[in-house]
Amino acid sequence: MAIFRTILRKVIPFALVAALPIYSSLVFAQAPKRGGTLVVGSTQALRHLNGAVQSGLATAVPGTQIFASPLRFDDKWNAQPYLAEKWALAADGKSLTLNLRKGAVFHDGKPITSEDVAFSIMAIKANHPFTTMMGPVEKVETPDPHTAIIRMSVPHPAIILAMSPALCPILPKHIYGDGTDLKIHPRNSVDVVGSGPFRLTEFKAGQRVVLERFDKYFLAGKPYLDKIIININPDSSNLMLGLERGEIQMIPYATNSTELKRFASNPTLNLTNKGFEGIGALNWLAFNTAKKPMSDVNVRKAIAMTIDKNFISKALHGGFSQPADGPIVASSPFAVPDVIRYPLDLKKSAELLDAAGYKAGANGERFKLTIDYLPGQDEQQKNVAEYVRAQLKKVGVTVEVRASADFPAWAKRMATRDFDMSMDAVFNWGDPIIGVHRTYLSTNIRPIVWTNTQSYTNPKVDDLLNTAGGLLDPTKRKAYYATFQKIVTDELPIHFINGTPYHTVSNKKVLNVPTTIWGPVSPYDEVSFK
Amino acid sequence: MGTLRYLISRLFQGAALVLAVVVLNFALVHAAPGDPVETIAGASGGMSEELQAELRSRYGLDKPLPVQLGIYLRQVVSGDLGYSYFFNLPVSDMIADRVPATLLLVVTSVLAAFLIGTTLGVLSARRPNGLLSQSINVLSLVGFAAPVFWMGLLLIIFLASWVPIFPVSGMRGIESTGKGWGDVLDVVHHLVLPSLTLGLVYLAQYSRLSRAAMLDVLGADYIRTARAKGLSEGVVLYKHALRNAVLPVVTVLGLQFGNVMAGAIVVETVFNWPGLGRLAFESVLRRDYPTLLGVLFFSSLVVVVMNQVTDLCYRLIDPRIKTS
Amino acid sequence: MLQTDRPQNQNLMKIEAPVDGPWREATRLFMRNPSAIAGLVLLGFVLLVAIAGPWVMGADPFEIRAAPLTAPFSEEAILGTDYLGRDVLTTLVYGGRATLLVGAIAAILSVSIGITLGAMAGYYGGRVDAVLMRITEFFQVLPALLFAMVVVTLFSPSLVTITLAIGVVSWTGTARLTRAEFMKYRNLEFVRAERSIGASHARIIWQVILPNALPPLIVSATLAIGAAILFEAGLSFLGLGDPNQMSWGLMIGSNRQYIFSGWWAVAFPGAAIFVTVLGVSLIGDGLNDSLNPKLRER
Repeated sequence: MAIFRTILRKVIPFALVAALPIYSSLVFAQAPKRGGTLVVGSTQALRHLNGAVQSGLATAVPGTQIFASPLRFDDKWNAQPYLAEKWALAADGKSLTLNLRKGAVFHDGKPITSEDVAFSIMAIKANHPFTTMMGPVEKVETPDPHTAIIRMSVPHPAIILAMSPALCPILPKHIYGDGTDLKIHPRNSVDVVGSGPFRLTEFKAGQRVVLERFDKYFLAGKPYLDKIIININPDSSNLMLGLERGEIQMIPYATNSTELKRFASNPTLNLTNKGFEGIGALNWLAFNTAKKPMSDVNVRKAIAMTIDKNFISKALHGGFSQPADGPIVASSPFAVPDVIRYPLDLKKSAELLDAAGYKAGANGERFKLTIDYLPGQDEQQKNVAEYVRAQLKKVGVTVEVRASADFPAWAKRMATRDFDMSMDAVFNWGDPIIGVHRTYLSTNIRPIVWTNTQSYTNPKVDDLLNTAGGLLDPTKRKAYYATFQKIVTDELPIHFINGTPYHTVSNKKVLNVPTTIWGPVSPYDEVSFK
Repeated sequence: MGTLRYLISRLFQGAALVLAVVVLNFALVHAAPGDPVETIAGASGGMSEELQAELRSRYGLDKPLPVQLGIYLRQVVSGDLGYSYFFNLPVSDMIADRVPATLLLVVTSVLAAFLIGTTLGVLSARRPNGLLSQSINVLSLVGFAAPVFWMGLLLIIFLASWVPIFPVSGMRGIESTGKGWGDVLDVVHHLVLPSLTLGLVYLAQYSRLSRAAMLDVLGADYIRTARAKGLSEGVVLYKHALRNAVLPVVTVLGLQFGNVMAGAIVVETVFNWPGLGRLAFESVLRRDYPTLLGVLFFSSLVVVVMNQVTDLCYRLIDPRIKTS
Repeated sequence: MLQTDRPQNQNLMKIEAPVDGPWREATRLFMRNPSAIAGLVLLGFVLLVAIAGPWVMGADPFEIRAAPLTAPFSEEAILGTDYLGRDVLTTLVYGGRATLLVGAIAAILSVSIGITLGAMAGYYGGRVDAVLMRITEFFQVLPALLFAMVVVTLFSPSLVTITLAIGVVSWTGTARLTRAEFMKYRNLEFVRAERSIGASHARIIWQVILPNALPPLIVSATLAIGAAILFEAGLSFLGLGDPNQMSWGLMIGSNRQYIFSGWWAVAFPGAAIFVTVLGVSLIGDGLNDSLNPKLRER
């Protein structure tokens, strides 16, 4: 008996104390380590850091660290609180109420209020290239410093996704509201005052961006990283080497199959293709439907039938991309599998061309075409263009691949409709209203790149899209989009080839690499080092 | 005092030249197809026609060309090189930011090439058919015939990848603070491969030139006299011959500055060296006209100045030479 | 080898040698020069491959032949494939055409401009000389590569724009040389004699002085070809070449990003450029030596 008492009184407490480190480490094992500098590699130079007036990934990667937005998203398309603690879309879909959290401050210490939110949203509406995003927004009411009510002229469910970090940075009104045009505001790259987890400490134009932790960030305890350095090097082989040597720890938006293969076989690196569902990047072949012979839908179908998407994905892209069959990217909740497809069939293609009245001449040639492509992404664009040329030769169509020296030259061709067909890469940007409608609405046939440069006109499609844009019930919306996808793949103003195989490559020491739907263009406040 | 008047007249000529370069490039850039506003529109992800029109009027692009030229010249003379279309930062700031890097690269390459090349050339002149002389011949041919960018890439493969002694690109390590002796060493470490690449061409040239000039001079009468007088070989070479042999090299040095800038563009691109050359190249691709014109202006200015300096050195080294 | 320790009869021997016409003499000297012959061989080889090669091969250099970045000495591709899977050997064979064509024509252009302007400046002197010298200085101050880049980008890159751009910025060296030669010759006896019998200026320039001034100009022209080839390669490397033409510079430029995974796509095209320019330079050197025999006695 005495022995038991001794055990109870002495050994067990001792054992419990001895075991303390074990369960304390179990409890605290999840708490991320604070500190460290994350070096991110990028090949694209960025103009400045203000995502309210500038679209594109290059600005958004640092921009989403510097500026916070009302909402952020997880990897299942669910909105999460960010600057807004609560939010509610009215039953009629014509207003969105944002309840901002209290105590959030800008990098200069001034509080973030609904005035700033209202200012930012109206600034985005006035300046951002994506006109459909905040199109229906009429005004933003600010009944009190922590409530903002966005009033819209029509029901606009896309407003929720429009509150994402990459699309709705909240700017300080007291800095940007001085009357200077936001597009050329000096504070866009110098002395930037933001609302997000990191402050700007250095902007070397075309070379690098250095960010440091903002210690008064409204999510206490975060961010874990001390510093983020975005290293800009137009030569991706240098970035690759840097990653392998540990000088760089993360490269988002890597697509090249040679590099990806090399990364995949490196035991110190992690490769993931998650995090790009929001962007929804598609690689496609666009037809100029206003020009003969592309104006004939059967010619377009015949061309589509010469293209083997599986070959492109497997052989040309090293197996890293997936074929795409519709205007809405497969990872979107609105994508449907029921679309018209065009499996490889050279014989049928030739028959279609014959039937369309384009018989082969004495030398076997039916007609000539040119094909352009977006410069700078040779594996996704140029390669496919060359492949299309080789394939069309087999059905008697002679194709000349026209290379543009640089982006402005290609953009001009598209804008002035100086093309027969062209490879292109376009993003869905989350809600179809933001990135999909612009390509198919007949009202968006404008002399600018990335509008309806195909001159596609179908009043039924206009109707479907405009209606779907105003429905709140996602199931109902999906039904409309389903019909839309079927029509578009039948009328083929664009032949979809593959989803751009974006990957984030990171050193295994980096924990919590962002893989929400927005991936690298969302705040890295939860990223830490092992 | 003849020198002073000469200098001033050359100064005016130089200024006129630079302005002429600016005018030519302005005309070229604005008369060619390809609207900078369209480029900006594309770079910012698309822009409505109204916004484009607004930009055009803001940048004064809707005014007639001569008016635009006048405005631009006035600005340039007062030191204002405008704002970059792409970054919206002052062009003069961007140039000032990049000049040190290019200066470092160019001066190191040319100086090293000059010193080493001239030494090799002079040494090989003593035995014109010896091993050293033949090797220099070969080296100079290699230096001239091999494309600069190819040499650079090969050097990267050999000395930065297979045997990783040197860094692959850039002027500094990624996380460097830019301060202190550690930084100096870091920059020097990064400087080796780019300056080797850029300098090789000139090394080859200078060694040949100085060898030829040396041989030329060594055959001259006054050298025979010096030898006949019994002066040692060293004195003959270095005191008498060298001075005259250096002249052609100096001429070439100054005149070639334009070429050096061209080489710098390529080397900076290969090594991602943050200098003017790369800035110029990227501005061309982005149709960032203000920056491009600014760099053209600046580099013409430098070439003109270098020409004058060369002229001056020439006259100093050999006071017998009068202005032509 | 200084003159001082040469016996007197060396000069005697020279006088007794058979006297050929100057051109025949030059050719003889050239043919005796081993490095000049080497240059001829190299250039000849390159020309042969560039002209006859495509005809013999009959392939498409842009065609995707095998997996990207296959190593050389493999069965699919002797020299390996590039980052898109194109056969490096095919691109070597086809890439010569654009480079050589541009190089030759640009050199002809720049030399023509240079000789014309230099001859006029050197011959007429005075006002004409002053004006032409200012123009020459202007083009010399203009940053050549940058200017060519601007021209090519703005007027969209094609073989024509590249050739024009290179030709327009490269003539100043030839101009100065020509001017110096013409200034030497214009006051010589036989030229003055021509003028006194009423020969026109044009005849004197082109038919009297120029043939005599030709030797250094020929050398300069040969070197101009080499320079033009390097210039074109540089432009293509930077991505400003004609993208629809396969060229060696284009190969190097587009494979630059993969040098760590495939050095062959960069090394071989560069070696091709090197061999070509080397051949041209050796010939130029040989011409220099054979047309200026005085230097050879050293």
